[in-house]
Amino acid sequence: MTARLDGDCIRLKGACPVEDAETLIGLLQQSAGATVDLQECGHLHTAVVQALLAASRPVHGAPADDFVRNWILPTLAKI
Amino acid sequence: MDELLEQFLIEARELTAQAADDFSALARDPADAERIDSAFRAIHTLKGSVAIFDMAPAERALHVAEDLLAQARTGRQLLSAGDVATLIALIDQTDRWVDAMERDGALDTAANREADSLVARLDPAPHVAADAGDQDWFSRLKVRDAAALAGATTNLIAFRYRPDADCFFRGEDPLATVRQVPGLVALAVLPITQWPSLAELEPFQCALTIEGVSRASETEIRAAFHLVSDQVDLVAIPASTQPRDDLPTFITNAAASLRVDVSRIDALADGVGELIIANNRLAHIANDVARSDPRLGALVRDAQAGLERAVSAMREAITAVRMTPLGPSLQRLPRLVREMADTLGKSVSFEMRGERTEVDKGIADQLFEPLLHIVRNALDHGLESAEVRRAAGKPEAGRLSVEVTRDGDHVVVAVSDDGAGIDVEGVKATAVRRGLLTQEAADLLDDGQAMRLIFAAGFSTAAVVTTISGRGVGMDAVQAAADRLGGRVEISSVARKGATISLRLPLNAIMTRLLIVRAGGERYGVPLDRIVETTSLATAGIHAVGMGRACVLRDRTLPVLSLSRLLGKEDMPAPIAKLLVTETVAERVGLVVDGFDERIDGLVRPRSGLLASVPGIAGTTLMGDGGVLLVLDLAELIG
Repeated sequence: MTARLDGDCIRLKGACPVEDAETLIGLLQQSAGATVDLQECGHLHTAVVQALLAASRPVHGAPADDFVRNWILPTLAKI
Repeated sequence: MDELLEQFLIEARELTAQAADDFSALARDPADAERIDSAFRAIHTLKGSVAIFDMAPAERALHVAEDLLAQARTGRQLLSAGDVATLIALIDQTDRWVDAMERDGALDTAANREADSLVARLDPAPHVAADAGDQDWFSRLKVRDAAALAGATTNLIAFRYRPDADCFFRGEDPLATVRQVPGLVALAVLPITQWPSLAELEPFQCALTIEGVSRASETEIRAAFHLVSDQVDLVAIPASTQPRDDLPTFITNAAASLRVDVSRIDALADGVGELIIANNRLAHIANDVARSDPRLGALVRDAQAGLERAVSAMREAITAVRMTPLGPSLQRLPRLVREMADTLGKSVSFEMRGERTEVDKGIADQLFEPLLHIVRNALDHGLESAEVRRAAGKPEAGRLSVEVTRDGDHVVVAVSDDGAGIDVEGVKATAVRRGLLTQEAADLLDDGQAMRLIFAAGFSTAAVVTTISGRGVGMDAVQAAADRLGGRVEISSVARKGATISLRLPLNAIMTRLLIVRAGGERYGVPLDRIVETTSLATAGIHAVGMGRACVLRDRTLPVLSLSRLLGKEDMPAPIAKLLVTETVAERVGLVVDGFDERIDGLVRPRSGLLASVPGIAGTTLMGDGGVLLVLDLAELIG
């Protein structure tokens, strides 16, 4: 399990494979006010990013993964 | 004409000529970086110039061509043979648009359609999206990522990756693929239409598009996408379409050259001509003075010699100023050859050599039209149809070349084709049919004389009204132009191998070399370039033949006329006849004169006033002693 709800925050940890998309969507639907923390995530599968874009929740954290930090995070932040 | 437009026409002609020259080199070697660079600069400047006028279609087409060249310039996108052909078509079209501006001051209604068709053929996008409706993703990207693009100092490539909806099921992860793209400068993950709500989202259906910009090479980017290449579009973005070296080039040119109205140069040349004559006169006076006062005579002669040196230096300088490369005068020729060949349904490879040769401006200006007649004639009558050429074992495309060479103080412009050659018997038959000469006279002509019949007035009455000249003019116009320019037309032909027609013109039109001849007790000037030779023979050797007289010179029969009688004066028979041989349209003619005097350089003024109505007089020139010399127009006199 790399996506989990922690209070009002959904934390993504490590690399998130395609299967996490379904879990993530479940978590997002479950807590409509939750934000998303990407601090500890690694690569995010496209399906996961798609879910985050559709959800349009505030994201925070500065992941160590360059690609996610430099290119995915700004895309998510713009929504 | 509006001064701005006038300046534009001059510049546009130069630029189209430059671009056309570059494109024809690129047709041979599409990777020639120097030519790509030069063509880019010409098109870029041309685009800037047309923008000043109401020439939006031209600007649009040139803009696309500029983009295409800009890509080629970076080496990212090679020009294909098709691209070069389209670029040539574009420059031809631009030249026609410039024609329209010169003629009507505006483009006609077809211009938009013409531009559209060129733009469609030139689209610089290397990989156009399959569905045309989606092509503007690139424009949106340019807006979205404007900041990243503006800061770029190198060439960039934009990509769009549209993964399949069910790619996740195949185990694909599009972002993992994009992660492999080196040198990213922008990235956007976008919904195909709009993001669905969470409830509607199918977690394992891919519903997004990824667009980005990279500074990596096309090869590197393609390598990253190689497993999904069918889902990726690339577009090259040149670093800058504004070449940085433009400005310095213009500044250098401005400093080094000066555009001067030709009439001012002509006024200078006339002035120098008068100086030469005044100086000749001073030489006579010096001789007169020396006879009565040797000391004073020597002083005057010394002063006259100094003046003469200065005048000749000045004459040389003016002559040099008037010398201009033939290139600009011939720049429209390649386009017209293509158009004429199209009209005639013939395929032609056309080549121009030596167009950098410099000639007097007067010659350069008047060369184009006769040359066009020769070229048209070669295309129409010289080159055979593709079927005939195939049967003869020749390549289907005919070869036509215009070669300019210098030969002493003459320039020779030779038009050669590899066609059927001139059909001598056919030419004779046509000339007889058109009543130019009798069958008997035709039978007496040798091949060289018979070929010259094509230049006779009335030979090409079938003269086609062409789109080029807009009027039917035969090859006689060529002969007339050569005469006017003080030149000659030469012709050679080998059956089945082709023909060459050359214009041999003086390089320098300011002064005319004259031979002074005596006839009927008067002196006359004859332009040296009209004289084939001078000789003398026993009067007994001149026989009456039919209505006229003839002699045998170097095994050829030569008709003989008396210059005195042609001028309406009495013959002064002498045992030895002095003969001046000249060449008319179809044959050589000997003129009996009373004697030959010196040769002079004269400024020939066109006949005017009372003389204007006297046939056979080309004009007048002032002699060193202040006398006026009549200069003969032999062609008209014999006519």
